[in-house]
Amino acid sequence: MRKALIFFLICLVSAIFPVPQGFAHTPLCYCEDNGDGTITCEGGFSDGSSGAGVKMKVVDTGGNVLIEGKMDEDSEFTFKKPEGDYTVILDAGPGHEVEVPGSEITE
Amino acid sequence: MKKLVLALSLAVAFALSAPAYAHFQMIYSPDSVPKSKKLTLKLVFTHPFEAGHTMDIGKDEKGKIHPPIAFGEMHKGKKKDLLDALKPVTFASLTNNGKAYEANVKLKGMGDHVFYFVPAPYYEGSEDVYIQHCTKVIFNVAGAPTDWDAQVGDPLPVEIIPLDKPYALWTGNVFRGVVTCKGEPVPDAEIEVEYLNHDIEGNTFVKEAKVEAPHDALITMTIKADKNGVFAFGIPRAGWWGFAALGAGGDLKHNGKELSQDAVIWVQALDMK
Repeated sequence: MRKALIFFLICLVSAIFPVPQGFAHTPLCYCEDNGDGTITCEGGFSDGSSGAGVKMKVVDTGGNVLIEGKMDEDSEFTFKKPEGDYTVILDAGPGHEVEVPGSEITE
Repeated sequence: MKKLVLALSLAVAFALSAPAYAHFQMIYSPDSVPKSKKLTLKLVFTHPFEAGHTMDIGKDEKGKIHPPIAFGEMHKGKKKDLLDALKPVTFASLTNNGKAYEANVKLKGMGDHVFYFVPAPYYEGSEDVYIQHCTKVIFNVAGAPTDWDAQVGDPLPVEIIPLDKPYALWTGNVFRGVVTCKGEPVPDAEIEVEYLNHDIEGNTFVKEAKVEAPHDALITMTIKADKNGVFAFGIPRAGWWGFAALGAGGDLKHNGKELSQDAVIWVQALDMK
């Protein structure tokens, strides 16, 4: 009976304070210029877990979305390098975004 | 004739009085989390605390230099042979010049980049033994942990496998590792620990020491692993620290002489400020 009560309480607490996956860890994003007009970004979390499926965005200086996509199963996202200034945003949920300015992405 | 005798006597006296501090193979670059992707690694076989006598890597008892056996990089579990990237250089210690190597490498991709080196055995005349330092160092890009706690395995016959990220240590943290031989822990391994007490600029040690040791036992510190090959060391100061597990390869011979096949790792601590 007591065990069942504890289980119920744990379920209740979990329902009130859901723990979204990956949020206990810091999201990471690192991009490199492939030298062929494309950029590849790698994503993941500080505990070593994969960023596969995480939303990716490329925006211009006005915040307009130029490219949208997701990290592939290798936790990578490759896109055509935009003309002009741009920023890559890894979006792992509210408060868990990583921004990488295009000016910092080198070969 | 008198002069010759005097010179010989001095030479012998000098050789005998040379302090028996520990040898350490280094794979050096200033930062374990580098700001640039392009690094020039310095591979030097030296006495890092004293910036002392620097050995000719791979020199046998006849004075012949043998080329390195392995040099490579592991990233995300994949190993890349980089032997061709090694270029011979002369490295100046505070007391001599030694034959060393450098390698221009590029860290491609997020995560850990483990560099490993297996030199040909070096003949240490004062001990009449061969010494072979199988060495590794780990650089990290963008904080992602990928390989730091993995065994490199072949071509490293012996290696220290970290239990703490070797590039994520504050001063005062504890660094732990497992001494292994062919993947198996080496019980009760003896480990020498030394601080890189002089900065390296180009291919020379700078003259100023960071600290002075009050006595010799604090120059080369000796610690022991437990029965599972696990050791721990509290890091008292920021900078690079070398760990050399002596004779981790067991009883070995090279050219009919004793071979001490040692596992070496370098870790870097940073101050909280």
